[in-house]
Amino acid sequence: MVGKRSKGAIVALVVIAAMLALPSAQSFPTGISGVQQSGCNCHGAVPSDSVVASIDGLPESYNYSEAYELTISFQGGPSQEGNVNQGGFHLWASEGTLSVSDATAQLYNQNEAGHTGAGNDQLSWTVTWTAPATDKNVDFVLHVNSVNGNADGVGGGTSGDMWSKVAISVGGPVEVLEATDPFVVLGVLIIVSASLLAITLAYVFYRKDPDAFDWDNFAPWLAGWMTSTDHKKIGTLYFVAGLFFLGVGGIMAMIIRIQLSVPGNDFLTQEQYNQFFTLHGTTMIFLAAMPMINGFANWMVPLQLGAEDLALPRINAMSFWLQPFAALLIFTGIFSGHGADTGWTGYAPYVVSEGAHYGTTMWAAGQIMLVASSTLTGINFLTTMAVMRAPGMGWMQMPLFSWSILVANVMLFLSIPAFGVGLIQVYLDRVVGTAFYDIAAGGDPLLWSHLFWYFGHPEVYVVVVPSFGIISEVIATSSRRSIFGYRSMVYAMAGIGIVAFIVYGHHMFTSGMSPTLRFVTMLTTMLVAVPTGIKVFNWLMTMHGGSLVYRTHTLWALGFLVTFTLGGISGMFFPSIAMDTHLHESYFVVAHFHYVLVGGTVFGFFAGIYYWWPKATGKMLSEKLGVLHFLTAFVSYNALFWPMHRLGVWGMTRRHHTYFVTTEEALGSLPMEAAGWNMFITVSAFLFFFSNFILVFNIIVSSIRGEDAPDDPWGGWSFEWMTSSPPPAHTLYKLNDGSWGIPTLKDANEHIANEPGWLSSWFQRLLVTDEDTEEESH
Amino acid sequence: MSYDDPHHPSPWGPHDWKHGSPHNSWAPFILSMGVAIFLFTLAGAFKWGEFQGWGKVPLIFVGLGVVGFGLLIWWRQDISFGVNGEVFEPKAAGAPFQNIDIRKVAMWVFLMSEMMVFTSLFSTYMRYRFGIASCQTVFESGEWVEGAAVICFEPASHLIASSWFHIAPGAINTFALIISSFTIVQALRYAKMRDIDEDVRRRKITRYLGTTWFLAILFLTMKMIEWFLGFPLPEFLHEFNHGDSTINSLYTEGYLINADHYQHHEYDTHYLESNGHGLDHDSDLYAMMEAGTHPGGHMMANIQVSATTFYVTTGTHGAHVFGGIIGLSYMTLKAARGGYTPDNAVSIEYFGLYWHFVDLVWVLVFPFFYLY
Amino acid sequence: MSVMTPLFEGLWDHYILWSVIVSAIAFGWLYHHSFWFTSKDGEKIPNVDEIEIGVFPKHNDDMRLEVAWTILPFLLIIWLTYYSWEPLDAMWTSEDGGVHGYECEEGQVSNNVMDSDGIITSDCYHVIEITGQQWFWSFDCLELDGSLCGSSTETMEVYGSVPVLHLMKGETYLAVMESIDVTHAPWFQHLGTKEDVLPGQQTTLWLPISESMTEESMVLCAEYCGDAHSIMAAKLMAHN
Repeated sequence: MVGKRSKGAIVALVVIAAMLALPSAQSFPTGISGVQQSGCNCHGAVPSDSVVASIDGLPESYNYSEAYELTISFQGGPSQEGNVNQGGFHLWASEGTLSVSDATAQLYNQNEAGHTGAGNDQLSWTVTWTAPATDKNVDFVLHVNSVNGNADGVGGGTSGDMWSKVAISVGGPVEVLEATDPFVVLGVLIIVSASLLAITLAYVFYRKDPDAFDWDNFAPWLAGWMTSTDHKKIGTLYFVAGLFFLGVGGIMAMIIRIQLSVPGNDFLTQEQYNQFFTLHGTTMIFLAAMPMINGFANWMVPLQLGAEDLALPRINAMSFWLQPFAALLIFTGIFSGHGADTGWTGYAPYVVSEGAHYGTTMWAAGQIMLVASSTLTGINFLTTMAVMRAPGMGWMQMPLFSWSILVANVMLFLSIPAFGVGLIQVYLDRVVGTAFYDIAAGGDPLLWSHLFWYFGHPEVYVVVVPSFGIISEVIATSSRRSIFGYRSMVYAMAGIGIVAFIVYGHHMFTSGMSPTLRFVTMLTTMLVAVPTGIKVFNWLMTMHGGSLVYRTHTLWALGFLVTFTLGGISGMFFPSIAMDTHLHESYFVVAHFHYVLVGGTVFGFFAGIYYWWPKATGKMLSEKLGVLHFLTAFVSYNALFWPMHRLGVWGMTRRHHTYFVTTEEALGSLPMEAAGWNMFITVSAFLFFFSNFILVFNIIVSSIRGEDAPDDPWGGWSFEWMTSSPPPAHTLYKLNDGSWGIPTLKDANEHIANEPGWLSSWFQRLLVTDEDTEEESH
Repeated sequence: MSYDDPHHPSPWGPHDWKHGSPHNSWAPFILSMGVAIFLFTLAGAFKWGEFQGWGKVPLIFVGLGVVGFGLLIWWRQDISFGVNGEVFEPKAAGAPFQNIDIRKVAMWVFLMSEMMVFTSLFSTYMRYRFGIASCQTVFESGEWVEGAAVICFEPASHLIASSWFHIAPGAINTFALIISSFTIVQALRYAKMRDIDEDVRRRKITRYLGTTWFLAILFLTMKMIEWFLGFPLPEFLHEFNHGDSTINSLYTEGYLINADHYQHHEYDTHYLESNGHGLDHDSDLYAMMEAGTHPGGHMMANIQVSATTFYVTTGTHGAHVFGGIIGLSYMTLKAARGGYTPDNAVSIEYFGLYWHFVDLVWVLVFPFFYLY
Repeated sequence: MSVMTPLFEGLWDHYILWSVIVSAIAFGWLYHHSFWFTSKDGEKIPNVDEIEIGVFPKHNDDMRLEVAWTILPFLLIIWLTYYSWEPLDAMWTSEDGGVHGYECEEGQVSNNVMDSDGIITSDCYHVIEITGQQWFWSFDCLELDGSLCGSSTETMEVYGSVPVLHLMKGETYLAVMESIDVTHAPWFQHLGTKEDVLPGQQTTLWLPISESMTEESMVLCAEYCGDAHSIMAAKLMAHN
């Protein structure tokens, strides 16, 4: 008892001291921060039911930024003779801004208000609450105390006083439905996919040897995959990772499409939507497309060059293993609900502002690891292609897929350090507090844009150029011709690689960059049409005079030609700056880059998967399922992205979590039809998403009971068809004399390809030491 | 594929190089995991420059420990490379690198990307150096009032190049790196010498690599002195240092990434007057003060961007030196075990390429950040 | 309904015309070849290029054709560049004596006229100020009086309270823009134009309000700026 009383005395002393120290806070209780959780221990320690507090004037759901006048009142309390109940209050609102209008109430901060000394004897008060500008659930906690007015009595100021608490929740205009938290949906789907992946893994192991299906055998088998430096195994790992994240990115796209299917939808809140589109972009580019390219490159480049492995096998393993860990970092934020919400472009200064979710730091950290991974990949492939081509294979006899990987890696290699440095700057700004993009210290937001797009534009070509390579192989092989204009194909690809570095300014036509630079990049961007045009016409000409065999990969290649050409044409609208100022950041842009990245890159990948699957696994895929896959995917794909062009011109803005349609012509929002088209797009998106499961099904069926594949099922000429299907564990090739070894390339053309040119001779003089040449001469 | 397969020795190392390069290794997996842990925990310990408490710090070292463990596995596989006389050094087949070691080509390619890294850092620096008015210019323009910070660019060279003593650590570093470039070449030269005693060769290589290692350590030590520690001067030199007994570190001078109210005595009209040399009479500030429109005083500057570019660019270079030290530690150890022979000297050459590059970058960093 | 400006529409139609021509060629060619040069087993035509595993096949090329489809696209883009060129001058016209003249004197009016291409020229222009902030726009008419420029707020469904910028038809305005926190970009939907609003530095945007301008139009934020980016809206009212 004594303890309790002395505690009370101490509290009273502290309060009195605080009152003296803070003359502005005359009230009792003073603004005790954090009071909303615990209640107050002044005016009696226990809450009383006889005090009934209420807030009037709160809507059930608020309108953005609207001001509401709240009346706070209470009834009941410790009545005494000759005294009416009166007291004070403390109101806390989790969001929005409180303000007071008269002398009876005061503001502690924008979330907390209480009574003033003058208002300490009221039964009701008025405060104003301005709703937040965003979609949030707002909690209000109100404490009132009801005093009996014995403050000057014997028992001290507080005895017999009562208090009470009431909590109210108010939703935003777009109500958040707890039951369908999309993060939970995404989480469950990812976990389900990962479990399916694990089951598949176990099943694959079981199929290998049903008798040895136990942990003692499984652990080393798994460890074998985790430690392998074999280019084929790493290539497979890249594919597993790439396809997995293609699925994850696809799920995110579906959630985005559900949100956009009807105007004003409430499936996602803005904050969630922002994270979903950010993660969708980052996942698709860095965790799906890039690993799949590396999967193809790992598998096929050494095989096409006639090499045993890549130049640096352990570095190759390192490139791969950086990626899953990077993915973990990138996704850490989203599971805690604080994922990166910056868009894949991560424009400064938002990316370093405290407004950007905390997951943004991890998003940058993960991408730093991906940059490291890409750099190592670049070193590996450039070295491999420079030094490990089989005898007889000059630069101009490399298969076009290898050429495409070479061009892609040169682009990536020379551009990604800029991105890496930018990311490190962002990471340091967010972690150790450097000031690269601190506007208050003179930082420049455009610096990030330059560093990012210097990388970002070559990057989108890095993603699409390998598909050019695949399509060149597929079309030539399917037509039973050699590719039309091999040399101009190579020069066109190299041209794309060079142009890539000087056009990035077209992403910044409306960024406040100097008009001169914009004009220059307008001209260079127009130039992109020339090499891509050459490539498209060469592909078409390859078919001329051939005899096209319709296989699944042929269909995908022809589909690629259609969609990529359309995407290329829509791309020509952007360099015309007067149009770009309207189209920039609209759905027209979304439609364009999905046409080139899905219709270009992904269709190319599908062609590549159907083309090389027999080589990699030794099993044929079902043609019937393949054709079904192509037809459903091609139709639903076009239905999905084609209408977006029109939506963009109408004024539908990218990265907006919702949109509104109106019949009022004057208002200038989207017309009514936009709602219908969006629903159509969503339905098509689901069809497209599920159509790709036909491929998954095909793969499963093929692994279980696929026909055995011959060494050269399609009639290609390059070295990968010279080895067995699947290739032996230590890659070697079947030579003409029946033995296994490294082949020599012959050339059906009469020209001397292997004589080093002047550039090569110059390189040699530069790099070969005297000693090396001496050794050679000995 | 199990461990006892003679063609697939343990992925933990050591590796038998007679069977060619390793087909399996835990190093990539573990290294990647370590990097992820490090980046994750570092971001847990600091937020916008605010330290989040010591509780998070051990985890950072867990991350670094995992990275170190991964490196150890890598080296354990590598240390026997060339030791038993067998040499596995694949040569390039195709033009234009015919007969060049593959790893040498890879090193050159790697340096290409390193060049882009420093180019990006330098372009950041130049954007700010030329885009933000220098503090001297702002001071002399008189467009400031005492008590409110102005944004301006204060090159570190303003502090560092202010006296011979300040520049001493940087100057020593320049020579340290140049000498270390020489010692690494000497190590290579002795490693390639066929007509000397094996033991002499071993000791020479070890010594030259050890010297290189020592010079690299010296470089980082000097950096610490320059950034954080400062150093005392013997008494007879005090008069050449405005009577001060120590040379202040950049830290003590307040040249920090969070320096939003940085002050320097050269931007103080009172100091300039009391020290005789006064204010430049051609400056606007002088004219304004003469006309009575500017009260003078001590200018306060927000130099966060200047400090950031300085510390991050020179710090990135320092990190490359640190990477070199780690590599050199391993190589010195290997040299002491007799791992480098005339047939297997190339690793020193490849490291030398990297080391020369680091040296070359310093040759650019030094004038840009220390002198200009 | 259409948010296209006459300028945009002119360019758009021209580009669509060329797109149709190019696609007609490419797709006509593609469809012809993919039905004509086919066979079930690939043996319709003998192995003309001597394709054999391990042998680099015979070159299949024709210099004239390749040069032709290098030069033709090149000519096309030269034409398209030329065609897109003229509106550029109008967009980035100088603040001193460009197509919008100099800043208006007190009482002077712009009297802008639109030519057949949709390019607007004016006698002089007025300066207003736009400030972006998470997550709302503020318009400042500076010295302009109520007959030229005004700002108010209006409550709209879903967007809540949005600022309204009142401008006069026939007048041309130069918006001087700056942001308080992060990058934003006002998309004046019926003017078909947008420009980033940057913190720490100023950008400018021409707002020529022609006589044919719709009365009410939306201004949306087109540069991602955080949580409430999608409802960072404003309204532009063009008065007679």
